[in-house]
Amino acid sequence: MGTENPNRPNYPLRPASTPFSAPQSTTPFLSSGPVLGSEASAFRPAPPSSSQFPTLPFSAGPLVGSESLGFGPPPSARPNELVRPHPSLQSSYGPPTTGFQRFPAPPLPSTDHTQHPRASLSGPPVVPPPTRLQGGSVSSEASFFSQPQPPSISMGSPPQNIKTGQFYSNIPPSTDQPFSPSRQNVLPISPMMGPSQATARGTSQSAFPGYASAQPYSSAQVPPVRPPFPSQAGGYAPPPPPAPFVAQPRGYMPGPPVTTSSVPYSRDQVQLHGMAPPIASQGLVEDFSSLSLGSVPGSFDSGLDVKALPRPLDGDVASKSLAEMYPLNCDSRVLRLTTGGIPNSQSLASRWHLGLGAVVCPLAESPIGDEVPIVNFGTTGIIRCRRCRTYVNPYVTFTDHGRKWRCNICSLLNDVPGEYFAHVDANGRRVDLDQRPELTKGSVEFIAPVEYMVRPPMPPLYFFLIDVSISAVQSGMLEVVAQTIKSCLDNLPGSTRTQIGFLTYDSTIHFYNMKSSLVQPQMMVVSDLDDIFVPLPDDLLVNLSESRIAVEAFLESLPSMFQENMNVESAFGPALKAAFMVMSQLGGKLIIFQNTLPSLGVGRLRLRGDDIRLYGTDKEHTLRVPEDPFYKQMAADFTKYQIAANVYAFSGKYTDIASLGTLAKYTGGQVYYYPSFLSVIHEDKLRHELTRDLTRETAWESVMRIRCGKGVRFTSFHGNFMLRSTDLLALPAVDCDKAYAAQLSLEETLLTTQTVYFQVALLYTSSSGERRIRVHTAAAPVVADLGEMYRLTDTGAVVSLLSRLAIEKTLSNKLEDARNFIQLKIVKAFREYRNLYAVQHRLVGRMIYPESLKFLPLYGLALTRSTPLRGGYADAQLDERCEAGYTMMALPVKKLLKLLYPSLLRIDDCLVNSSARADDFDISKRLPLTSESLDTRGVYIFDDGFRLVIWFGRSASPDIARGLLGEDLGADFSKISLSQRDNEMSRKLMKIFQKSRESDPSYYQLCHLVRQGEQPREGYFLLSNLVEDQTGGASGYADWFMQLHRQVQQNA
Amino acid sequence: MADLFAWLFAFFLLITILALILYQLMCLADLEFDYINPYDSASRINWVVWPEFIAQGVLCFVHLTAGHWIMFLLCLPYLYYNIKVYSQRRHLVDVTEIFNQLHWEKKIRLFKLGYLVILLALSIFWMIWTIVDE
Repeated sequence: MGTENPNRPNYPLRPASTPFSAPQSTTPFLSSGPVLGSEASAFRPAPPSSSQFPTLPFSAGPLVGSESLGFGPPPSARPNELVRPHPSLQSSYGPPTTGFQRFPAPPLPSTDHTQHPRASLSGPPVVPPPTRLQGGSVSSEASFFSQPQPPSISMGSPPQNIKTGQFYSNIPPSTDQPFSPSRQNVLPISPMMGPSQATARGTSQSAFPGYASAQPYSSAQVPPVRPPFPSQAGGYAPPPPPAPFVAQPRGYMPGPPVTTSSVPYSRDQVQLHGMAPPIASQGLVEDFSSLSLGSVPGSFDSGLDVKALPRPLDGDVASKSLAEMYPLNCDSRVLRLTTGGIPNSQSLASRWHLGLGAVVCPLAESPIGDEVPIVNFGTTGIIRCRRCRTYVNPYVTFTDHGRKWRCNICSLLNDVPGEYFAHVDANGRRVDLDQRPELTKGSVEFIAPVEYMVRPPMPPLYFFLIDVSISAVQSGMLEVVAQTIKSCLDNLPGSTRTQIGFLTYDSTIHFYNMKSSLVQPQMMVVSDLDDIFVPLPDDLLVNLSESRIAVEAFLESLPSMFQENMNVESAFGPALKAAFMVMSQLGGKLIIFQNTLPSLGVGRLRLRGDDIRLYGTDKEHTLRVPEDPFYKQMAADFTKYQIAANVYAFSGKYTDIASLGTLAKYTGGQVYYYPSFLSVIHEDKLRHELTRDLTRETAWESVMRIRCGKGVRFTSFHGNFMLRSTDLLALPAVDCDKAYAAQLSLEETLLTTQTVYFQVALLYTSSSGERRIRVHTAAAPVVADLGEMYRLTDTGAVVSLLSRLAIEKTLSNKLEDARNFIQLKIVKAFREYRNLYAVQHRLVGRMIYPESLKFLPLYGLALTRSTPLRGGYADAQLDERCEAGYTMMALPVKKLLKLLYPSLLRIDDCLVNSSARADDFDISKRLPLTSESLDTRGVYIFDDGFRLVIWFGRSASPDIARGLLGEDLGADFSKISLSQRDNEMSRKLMKIFQKSRESDPSYYQLCHLVRQGEQPREGYFLLSNLVEDQTGGASGYADWFMQLHRQVQQNA
Repeated sequence: MADLFAWLFAFFLLITILALILYQLMCLADLEFDYINPYDSASRINWVVWPEFIAQGVLCFVHLTAGHWIMFLLCLPYLYYNIKVYSQRRHLVDVTEIFNQLHWEKKIRLFKLGYLVILLALSIFWMIWTIVDE
């Protein structure tokens, strides 16, 4: 998203600034407006385009001419890509609406040609593409300008079009840069523009237009003027001056005045030479963002305006560019690629440092009204490709009058089964398209026939493993858990099929027979921990609806049963084995409540604790990996038998979450940690999260595979799951709160296709007992240009992938190394990007970065300061670190970003002001996360998706505190919990809470109260999470930015 | 004569170790091509890890007692590696991470294989030498 935004503001600005602005409106070309594909428009507002032309007469005219010159000679660059005449195909493709406009440009031999476009307007097909085009010399830009359309041009398929983006070849002969592929145009400019350009994001545009065109062609017919123009046009007119600031409008950064001087110069040049440069400059203008870091290299301490640094105050905004390019793609909730442009060669991929891959959340919740359609092929069987087993999807093409279909992934021609046959109309569309969601939607769900089952679909099964030692009873955990489970019994998925079972343990293991004929459950105690056996193997797991009475009686009596228990031991390992024996028949969900360190039997753990002496040594990571192979082995066995383990840990003392969490990690589960659980404080949180865990829609005994086109392959996977074969993820239970990351690698040195398709398939058993396959399909263009990859980058996915890689790194390296890893990745990425532009533009003292990655430095900083990675011994408790690590490995992108850069909101105005209604409270008005945002007179709310912190400023109005806390005003904030009181203020606050909790129901945001200056609570809850501040050894945002900048410049 | 028997014994031990390594490689390759699942693969490999280590230890011991100093020295690095890996508890394949470690595990075993082949060639040479000598 980021990429797009900037433009809009820009446009308005430009015209004004440019001398040429006036002409814009007048231009005949406006007519071109229609031409713009929807896509094109998205990228760059059309209006500007018109400006281009107008400019031509003035200065551009000559310019163009010059360019044209350039074209002729340079042909070397990429010949044919641009235009692919496939006349025949044309008609078939997409609805015109998609925005297909192809405007093949005729070569412009002379300035005159430039004019052409206009002419062409009148008569679209006017000029057949001159041979030159084919020569391939045509650069993207060239195409924009002049190319009269070859009538026939059409892309065979949308994908093909993509290529258009690539040709930047039209380098003026003079410019012989290394960078040529990227944006030649830019080059010439550089001398003139100098630093000023930094803000620009222009050149890239050409690429976009290309994309736009990539879409279905059908519409292409007339478009005399290429849509691309518009975007570029803007660039043209206002060549230099506006540029620096253009990007800035966002408020990032005021460009340094320095640049301005260059402007006039550049323009002059343009006019003088009439060369391509101007164009380039424009492109440049739009191409990247920059921050000036001081006017002189070396004097970094001046010139950085902290306020101007980019901050994701709008939260995570997924980039729409890919979705617009391929409207049939599945939603970004489900699949997010780190970059929407797949590199076409290994050498290009090796210049991409941010991880090439995807973050997949296969069961992401769909908004109401946009549910995933369910398709039942019945006896036909699911339509899949014979060779690569791809499921039928919107990107397959039907040929041979509908008798065959071509797989979009392996391009094999498959027969269409008789029952599935439908006629194909003149456009190649099936006539029954509107009744076939699998051919129109990126996400569908197939009902799987018997071939997809190795056994009858399992019932939803919940097995509870509950610690009943003294600490569990005293903390109140047992009572809360029993009540919560009881309250959820009606809402467990699976209605009458649901199975349930319980097992409790302290130094012995207690089984409960809850046969339906019993009114009271029978308890059986096994104390031989070395040789576990299961008494009554048949009656420990019972059907919930049949044994409802016994189950309820059990839950009712559970807390009282162990009221007097003084046992401090925990035979966790043996209990785990017993649970495994009980569950191994069916699989299901194992929910573990653990209060102490396992101390008896197999799997007992040492109090190895958080040894400060290990930090900074090579053995540091051993603290964060399971100590006893027992847990890994158990986890592997669990997965094998379709058991997913969720671990709830409650102890305030060391519980070795690193070991316990392994159970969740390899079984697709989750770790919940409530340090020093006290029912008075944490009750709501546990209740909510356990309820969510039990009642959310769950996919059982599932496996997931991501298929992708030829030449690319997913090679590594990151998240909580176990691999069953090289690319098959075993997920005993999945739900909407789990996401998985995967990294791609190129298998061939050169990709010949223009589009890569991805298909995520999750085969699972639904709670209703149906075997289903959820299939998500997405397409992404193959690009030949690094700049293009940057433009299509999705920061959220990049951050998610980086965080997983870094957390994995902490398991085998020092924390320091993991942090350096993140920094290094960012530096390398920006250095590579800088190399694309900096040299020609002499962007000394400026940090340049792609618009799409403007938040990466901040998220990177937040990542190095997140709980799993921050500081050293003293900065986070080991258990919290490990828990956060396990949690972050499974978080979907949106929640991860919220955790990394939480929202900070000021609420006192809203509370005090009686006219303000809580409903109107804008939870999107976020403040930068720095202590400067905190006013001592204010009251703030800090929300990271896992907890809410209310911060009372020292001089905040006592009325607020009194209103919210009543008589507890002076009490110790750590001991009181906020509850609704009978006054307006309190009600408002609760409304606000409710609002933010509803926005993210996967965790409960427990509220903590903090007074300014109340250490260490303030530090723990808030100050250490203000990621932009410098605290302890961690650098602040400005420093971090400087650091990155310095490193980027080294060897740049 | 005793020396010849020592060489013969060492020779068969080497063949045994080679076979065990080959078997492990085979399991890894099968896993990579999805012929067997990670559970079977890991348990099969782990099953022969101990025999491999013991056979290697015995081999060293034989060379030592028979006074084949050069061969003994050549075997030492392998022994050292085994002991080191064992003391770090990394000698068994981890079923949960087997796919991530696949390449590394294969590399290790291929390296061992090459190393053993060299040892084998040397032993054969010395064995023949001994026969001829006598």
